[in-house]
Amino acid sequence: MTTLTRRPVGPGAATAPGPRRRLIGLVAALVLLAALLMLSVMIGSTAIAPSVVWDALFHPSPGLDQYAIRDFRLPRTIVALVVGVALGLSGALIQAITRNPLADAGILGVHAGASFAVTLAVGLLGIRDIQAYQWFAFAGALIVTLMVLTLGSTRQGRSPVVVVLAGVCVTAVLGGAREALQLTNAEAFDAMRSWNAGSVTGRPLEVVWPILPFFAVALVLAFAVSGSLNAMALGDELAVAQGVRLGRTRVLSVIALTLLAGGATAIAGPIAFVGLMVPHVARWIVGPHQSWIFAYSMLLAPSLLLTSDILGRLVLRPGEVPVGIVTAFVGAPVLIALVRRKEASGL
Amino acid sequence: MTNLRRHGAALAAGLLSATIVLTACGSDDADDTGAASTQTAETSETRTVTADNGSIEVSAAPRRIVTIGNTGQPIVDLGGKPVGITEVAASTLEKLPEDQQATFAAATIVGPEGGEVDLEKVAGLTPDLILVQLPDDEFEAIEKQLETIAPTLFYGLDTEWKAFADKLAEAGNLTQNLSAQKTEFAQRVSTVQEKYGKLIDGSTFVDVSRGDWNDPGTFYIADIGCSEIARDDIGLDLPEAAAGQDPLAYESLPFEQIGKLSEYDVITYPVEADGQPTEAFAPVVETNTWKALPTVTDGKALGVFCPGNNSYGPVLQYLESLERALAKLPAQE
Repeated sequence: MTTLTRRPVGPGAATAPGPRRRLIGLVAALVLLAALLMLSVMIGSTAIAPSVVWDALFHPSPGLDQYAIRDFRLPRTIVALVVGVALGLSGALIQAITRNPLADAGILGVHAGASFAVTLAVGLLGIRDIQAYQWFAFAGALIVTLMVLTLGSTRQGRSPVVVVLAGVCVTAVLGGAREALQLTNAEAFDAMRSWNAGSVTGRPLEVVWPILPFFAVALVLAFAVSGSLNAMALGDELAVAQGVRLGRTRVLSVIALTLLAGGATAIAGPIAFVGLMVPHVARWIVGPHQSWIFAYSMLLAPSLLLTSDILGRLVLRPGEVPVGIVTAFVGAPVLIALVRRKEASGL
Repeated sequence: MTNLRRHGAALAAGLLSATIVLTACGSDDADDTGAASTQTAETSETRTVTADNGSIEVSAAPRRIVTIGNTGQPIVDLGGKPVGITEVAASTLEKLPEDQQATFAAATIVGPEGGEVDLEKVAGLTPDLILVQLPDDEFEAIEKQLETIAPTLFYGLDTEWKAFADKLAEAGNLTQNLSAQKTEFAQRVSTVQEKYGKLIDGSTFVDVSRGDWNDPGTFYIADIGCSEIARDDIGLDLPEAAAGQDPLAYESLPFEQIGKLSEYDVITYPVEADGQPTEAFAPVVETNTWKALPTVTDGKALGVFCPGNNSYGPVLQYLESLERALAKLPAQE
């Protein structure tokens, strides 16, 4: 009798680097992220000396520049870090469970649900404070994802293709309803405009802390199912033969990615491309090893978000471009490059 | 365009015009009909007024005015009672005097704010004058249809507010009220200049603001709206965009830039009628950077109420508020 082991296989597996090189790459990604975190605190629309930045962080005292560092640059840097980690990991999860290299959490209706709920909160209830409407975004993302999963269930079970189609349909319907609401309420449209662009600026850390426990749960779930997702990359039948419980793995994965993407959207608004392209890059580097892909995505996605945010601060000084717009500009050409490397990025 | 399409477009245009004309003729409101008959007798006299769409013959004393776009508030401020208006935001209405709020409540809404005008509703009101201020392209799209309903006067968005008031008053036969408002405005400007002339001449000012539409964590330097009046009529030394450039107000600045406001002697910022910062501006006032600004700690950050800037009524309220604010400056104590 032949024993099947849970050994990562699939496109790119043969050329994937060994554990030592993967670890070195991970450390390099960590160093890159640390450097970008420092740059994010040092670069802004006003020129502040590095010594002032240092004092603001480690020897705090009153002063306009020190306040600028502690009250504005540091929070947005932390927001970009947290949102980036969540988007990267959620993207890796959705691509793994749908076995679709062009998937991101948006196709499950996460962004559409969050946007629709925020439109209701802003337009009908008159809520303008992001700390209040972030919960609408979070709840909207969770409810709509559940709706999509229900609609995507057939008598044969839950097929990734049917779930994705259900997500596309629900996204279209909610998108239309949201536009209709915004067109009939000009003030809501104005208030929603910036949230819809996706931004990490102007979010107090009080917006981030309440979401962190959900992210922690999602993180544990994601790494818990990573081995099963490796097996599922071989196909459902082989995964079952290896003892993987498909239904449970998919449900846990969807719970994790919904908490991550819903939470990230609640904090920063819908930010495209990060969850789509970063897992690709991670897969190039480490091959089809889900736990490594997760780890790399969690480091590279915030790096991309921080880079985009820093660029957004520089291109129109003293004004700024929201990070969601910059990631879209950066993301489009990178996505084209990705799809042209079909073999390397395939699942 | 194919013949079929051309014929289709012509048929559609014809049907729309016919609908509008029939709706206008088919009003079954007895009061309206009576009023319209009386009005025909009373307003048979006409005069020619000039607007951005040319010289138009209008009723000498129009009684059924429909206002579209930005013309509603100025007409009501002048004492007019339009029968139809495009919607005005609740946040704007609540700043108006009660009698003006009642006038708005009594008028028929003919379209959402900034949205599409319901031409059938406009026609159904049997207006004798239609006043429009919209972006040029939006007016051009409905110009022909409006002109089939009633004489229509259009004013571009770049019309200066005092000239706008003059033109609307002339069109709506409301010049008597305008005259009183102009006198009060001149007196108020003169009073502020006399009382605070020395302070104004020796200080640099900056007017900052923030709207619902601004990204969180951003604000802007206001150089249009009420600050234009403070600069051009009162003489405050306020920053403005270079000639040919977009107004400074169009650029959202990150909160980091709040520290730069320390370059100015006096800061003005938007407050409600009760003196509290507006809801949109409150996040700026709550930052540590704002609280640490020398201008703020020295009591030179002044909250000013600006309920509007396109007619004399709200501008007079603004000037009154500005005068009260200037009186608080330490040098005046």
